[in-house]
Amino acid sequence: METDGTHSRRTFLKAAGATMATVSVAGCTGSPKDTSSGGGDGPSGTLMYSRGARNSTLDIHVTTSGEDVKVTNQIYDKLIDFKPGQNQITGSLAKEYTLDGTTASLTLREGVKFHNGDEFTAQDFEATYRRLTDPEYKHYIGKKNVSAYSNIVFGQIKSVSVVGDYELEIELTKKFAPFFRNLAIFAGGVLPKSEIESGTDFSTTAIGTGPFTLDQYEQNGRQIRLRANENYWNDGPEVSKVIFSTVGENSTRVSQLISGKTHIIDGIDPDGVSRIENNDGVSVQQKVGLNVGYLALNMERMKPFRKKSVRKAMNYAINTKVIVEEIFSGLATQSSQPIPESVMGYNENIDPYPHDPQQAKTLLKEAGHGNGFNMELAVFKNPRPYIPSPIQTAEQVKSDLSAVGINAEISQMSWEPYLEYTQTGKHDACFLGWNTDNGDPDNFYYPLLHPAVESPDGQDWVSFDTDGYQTTNASGWANQEFMSSVEEARSITGSVQEREGLYREAGKLAHDEAPWVFLDHTNVLRGVSNSVSDYNVSAVGGPFLRTVSVE
Amino acid sequence: MASKWFVVKRLLLLVPVLLGVATLVFAVLHISPGDPARVMAGQRASQEQVEMVRQEIGLSDPIWVQYGRFLADTAQLKLGESYVLRPNQSVASILKNSIPTTIELAVYGQLIGILLGLPLGVISAIKQDSITDHITRIGALTGISVPIFWSGPIVIILFSVTLGIFPTNGRIAQQYFLSDTWLFFGHELPRTGLITLDTLLLARYDAFVSAVRHLVLPASVIGFYSMALISRMMRSSMLEVVRQDYIRTARAKGQGERITFLKHGLKNAFIPVITVIGIQFGTLLGGAVLTETVFGIEGIGMILVDAIDVGDYPVVQGTVLVFALLFTLVNLGVDITYSYLDPRIQQ
Repeated sequence: METDGTHSRRTFLKAAGATMATVSVAGCTGSPKDTSSGGGDGPSGTLMYSRGARNSTLDIHVTTSGEDVKVTNQIYDKLIDFKPGQNQITGSLAKEYTLDGTTASLTLREGVKFHNGDEFTAQDFEATYRRLTDPEYKHYIGKKNVSAYSNIVFGQIKSVSVVGDYELEIELTKKFAPFFRNLAIFAGGVLPKSEIESGTDFSTTAIGTGPFTLDQYEQNGRQIRLRANENYWNDGPEVSKVIFSTVGENSTRVSQLISGKTHIIDGIDPDGVSRIENNDGVSVQQKVGLNVGYLALNMERMKPFRKKSVRKAMNYAINTKVIVEEIFSGLATQSSQPIPESVMGYNENIDPYPHDPQQAKTLLKEAGHGNGFNMELAVFKNPRPYIPSPIQTAEQVKSDLSAVGINAEISQMSWEPYLEYTQTGKHDACFLGWNTDNGDPDNFYYPLLHPAVESPDGQDWVSFDTDGYQTTNASGWANQEFMSSVEEARSITGSVQEREGLYREAGKLAHDEAPWVFLDHTNVLRGVSNSVSDYNVSAVGGPFLRTVSVE
Repeated sequence: MASKWFVVKRLLLLVPVLLGVATLVFAVLHISPGDPARVMAGQRASQEQVEMVRQEIGLSDPIWVQYGRFLADTAQLKLGESYVLRPNQSVASILKNSIPTTIELAVYGQLIGILLGLPLGVISAIKQDSITDHITRIGALTGISVPIFWSGPIVIILFSVTLGIFPTNGRIAQQYFLSDTWLFFGHELPRTGLITLDTLLLARYDAFVSAVRHLVLPASVIGFYSMALISRMMRSSMLEVVRQDYIRTARAKGQGERITFLKHGLKNAFIPVITVIGIQFGTLLGGAVLTETVFGIEGIGMILVDAIDVGDYPVVQGTVLVFALLFTLVNLGVDITYSYLDPRIQQ
């Protein structure tokens, strides 16, 4: 026994020693060969897009993340799409589309093939629609998985009928003007029926009719490689490969762009902008975003905010010019109303509230708050596109408010708990923002300022606890006049002018009633290498990479 | 020599350990604020949608029902599906993808630690109180005292940003994509997930170089820390051994210093060091949380941090359980090794 033990101990030690030696030798000899090709296959034919986050999934029916969509937008086509770089829609898989009352008729494009070779028909759309909305359907995605976009994109649909292989008739529950724009949202992408019904896992595979096919989904979505769809029905694609990669650090992405290791980057901070501008061969492309950043004043929790003059005083007290020009380095514009300029119904006669502490004090005095009051100022910690420096913004607001006698206490939270906090109305005032889904004014006015419930008589706010309350309305505002304008406007399917007029009024009303402190509309920024041509920065529906070519 | 009973007993002890860990992580998750249903449903979801999600994932059930269900599922090795991080994907598959990453990093870190720590410890002991010894000891003290969340960014600033020698983050340069399978005498075998091994198996030598370059900084940071512990242990163990009678005997009979130290001393001094190396390996797995976060490497450590951030209960629970399991198994391995090295130790 003793000998055996000794023996096995020696053998063990020897074996361990030998393994260690082999490993270390292998480690030494492995490196010198083949180092020359470290630079990779270079830009020709391959477009490289670097961003800060990875994909969590490829399933357009599950995701709510803008990061995920950057990739799926290359793979899936929708019936309707946005025009590259513009806030306008155009037919995509649908050649023609008309909305007559509550009936939408669509004629589909013929001869379009999915990446798996299937021919695209109206049945594919029907199956896609049922996957997302119909619990009776065998291949329904499941209540747990279905994203809020199910409601946004298809929520107004009563029924979908396949009239022929290339004819669809969609019946809506009521007249709804933004319907076609909603079909252009990413979740409106069309999946092939055969793959839905064979149980394909769409979270890591993607099969659409789009300009690029999925080649590899690597490292849990950190690296994604697409290949050109050579049978694509529309213009493009111009590059044979697209690589999406994840580089967490903002400054590293900028360095990669400058050193030619990537072609397009997003998530650029002011520091990155100046670095890019100081380098040849790369440039910053920007466009006013279809977004808004604001400070929502919770009228349910904070009694002073129930007085219009106090809300206006808040707008006068806060120096949004400094926020936009200094804190956001001029990469944003001051906001005067809930929608930015390129959205229909923008009222150019409204100016942003000027910074006027005196006026603010007067208004506060009139309202009986001459000595100010105490309030909480809730803010999220990490940058969001519409408020790129949240903490500094909150500090600025705090100091502006203290100048007119209002004592604000900042409370910081990370995004997820923050959402829950603000949507359940626990805040006094909170910073929030919104990126549009479809570029329609309804997509700002309705979710952000309409409570979706009736307000009690003679009261222009409602409680967050009201059954059916729209939680994205973070101020509790429920102005009857505003509500009816917005409701009417969303139901006008005939005259665009009439709709536009109603939104112009709604914008004026929101400005005057001031349920928010209107802060900013940020620019959409992309760092682009000069070897890239025909890339259009898009504020909605992008990135459009099919027309892009690389030298 | 470890008896079978010892191993069986230790494996049985895993059950209460894991039960305790499971209970603790469940309690902490449910006590801490945050509503996963709200996060899952997203900013645009209505109250009804949030409520529907909450019911679907069972969060509206009484807490003891949820606890019971969690234990029952875990006992059957059902770790559930991710809520937010990788919606729809099973926690098992997420872990399967990320565990090799963490293990690879820990193994390389440990290798660096051993290869540097052992010789330094021996030298330090042989030349006790010399300048070399002092420098080594100061180095070791620094290694133990400097936390990874500080040394990580410092080496990134130095070697990546300033000198530009090594990449800052990730596992491999962005242009490399590896195919999912490799050929072994005509058979397609799946990748191992160990990127340095995979690139070699796929005969992608340029990708291998890239993978190694990406590993250098994180593995060194971990390695420095473990080198510090190993060299200290090696030194003190060596010093203890050289005071033993048999060393004095060896010297008395006129044997050369080199053979006395290396042949008689070193071997015996190894025993406690091996233990430290083993235990250290477990700690390295834990240290992965910091290292992976700093270097943007997607192993279980980073997954855990991300999952905690968004309140992805199933992923947090699964990851913590796997950590606990790995740690316990490594410790068991150490105990077994110990009895191999020193037969006097009865277990």
